[in-house]
Amino acid sequence: MTSINTDAILETLVFIAIFLLLPPLLVGIIRKTKARFQNRIGAPLLQPYFDLLKLLSKGETISKHTSWIFRSTAAINVSLLIILAFLAPWTSLRPFNLGADLFLVIYLLALTRFFTVLSALDAGSAFGGFGASREVTLALLVEPAVILCLAAIGSVSQTSDLGVAFSFNNIALANQPGLWFIAGCGLFLASLVELSRMPADDPTTHLELTMVHEAMILENSAANLALVEYAHFLKILILLGISSQCLLHAIPFFWHTTELILVFSSLVSIMILAASIAIIESVAVKLRWTKLPEFIAYSVAMSIFCVFIALSKNLN
Amino acid sequence: MILDTFEALAMVAAIFAILILGTTHLRTNLSFYSLHTMAIAAVTAWIASITHEDHLYLVAAGVFIIKSCSIPWFLNSVIKKINVGTDGGAFIAAPLSMHLGALMLGLSFMISQQIPGLIGEADSRLGSTAAMSILFSGVLLMLTRRAAISQIVGFLVIENGIYLFAVTQTHGMPLMIEMGLLLEVLVAVMVAGLLLFNIKKSFEHIDVSQLTELKD
Repeated sequence: MTSINTDAILETLVFIAIFLLLPPLLVGIIRKTKARFQNRIGAPLLQPYFDLLKLLSKGETISKHTSWIFRSTAAINVSLLIILAFLAPWTSLRPFNLGADLFLVIYLLALTRFFTVLSALDAGSAFGGFGASREVTLALLVEPAVILCLAAIGSVSQTSDLGVAFSFNNIALANQPGLWFIAGCGLFLASLVELSRMPADDPTTHLELTMVHEAMILENSAANLALVEYAHFLKILILLGISSQCLLHAIPFFWHTTELILVFSSLVSIMILAASIAIIESVAVKLRWTKLPEFIAYSVAMSIFCVFIALSKNLN
Repeated sequence: MILDTFEALAMVAAIFAILILGTTHLRTNLSFYSLHTMAIAAVTAWIASITHEDHLYLVAAGVFIIKSCSIPWFLNSVIKKINVGTDGGAFIAAPLSMHLGALMLGLSFMISQQIPGLIGEADSRLGSTAAMSILFSGVLLMLTRRAAISQIVGFLVIENGIYLFAVTQTHGMPLMIEMGLLLEVLVAVMVAGLLLFNIKKSFEHIDVSQLTELKD
């Protein structure tokens, strides 16, 4: 009995350590890969941790026109995303079975976006306003893709609990590599837009005309900015984690392997996806704002394919 | 429902055909077309191994060499020479026509449920779903695009759809007929490519919607 307990405690500690420490490393991987692509040596892999620590020790400046919303948003977002990290199936290591309903996961993500937009509007700067308007437009276009992909998986597995659907022992989903692969691709394309990465938004520039995410957090500083950045890193971890889990489920090998290999390969696949984001950012250009719906249409089309596969599966 | 490999490959071909609809960038269209035809060549080879019809291996090789390598390469060089990067404008916006194509995939699934299809031991109805959806995508491409080069790609996609239908429903046509068809497609694309040069030279655009206007 005691050995089971220590196992569970160890698993929990490893899980918490992973989701607290991995997100900045992912961003470090993205930046390092981009730097290598541009023939630079680049900042060390651990630079995002140093940045966060430095931001925490700086003095904060808050505009006197802001209200409590602006000051509390970063903390709300980080706590919402920590809840999501416990709920969403972003890795196969899940010590808590909390019953992650797919709509709960999607709308918790939407709630973090809602608070980010509110705080951008609260600061009252022009950039915050247009950043918020762009973010909401993009969210409107991307949301159907995410919902349809996850709902198709849910309808094949006959449950809306993502924890059950992603658990590698659901027989209904065992022989569906096509569904998993297309859902993984659709979710990956959608998360590129949700995370304001390259085809939608260039995270490295501060050019007023083009930025989306950066425009919304212009007013944040010091510890507040550190929390905002950390929330964004956590979002990267969760979204990339969900799409990498979809892709892992497409490979039959992972259905018959041990727990340890699964955990290890899910972490590695998240890092591979982060590196592939960097590769996409190095070879692709940022799309013009009016061209973006064409890019998002690809992810929506993938989700429609998922729905058809789920339909044909359910009809038979 | 467990997909047979050739059905899965046929669906991959159908999905690539629908992805062609999603962009007006001609280079991207051609590379999607090339991948789409590679999937069709793989379907042919797989069916050859199921049914033990050895001539289908030759057809698969012909499809791969002529349709998925030479034709995209030739059209790419045409695009480079006449210096047209993107389709001027589609009658239906590209993302919308891609979603229409996806809906057509569902429609062709419903139609193909009416067909009693068997190839060897395997049920070939998903194969005919893919073939019909490729046909519909080609028709959409020809109807909605303005640039003459998109019309050529649309024609090629329709041809692929008909070919895939024949291959998945029967054991393929005799080798002579298949080779004749391949040659004919190659010649048609060559002629259309040369025609493009002349259209570009005399009208200074390749917009088919304006070709009906008379000029003196």
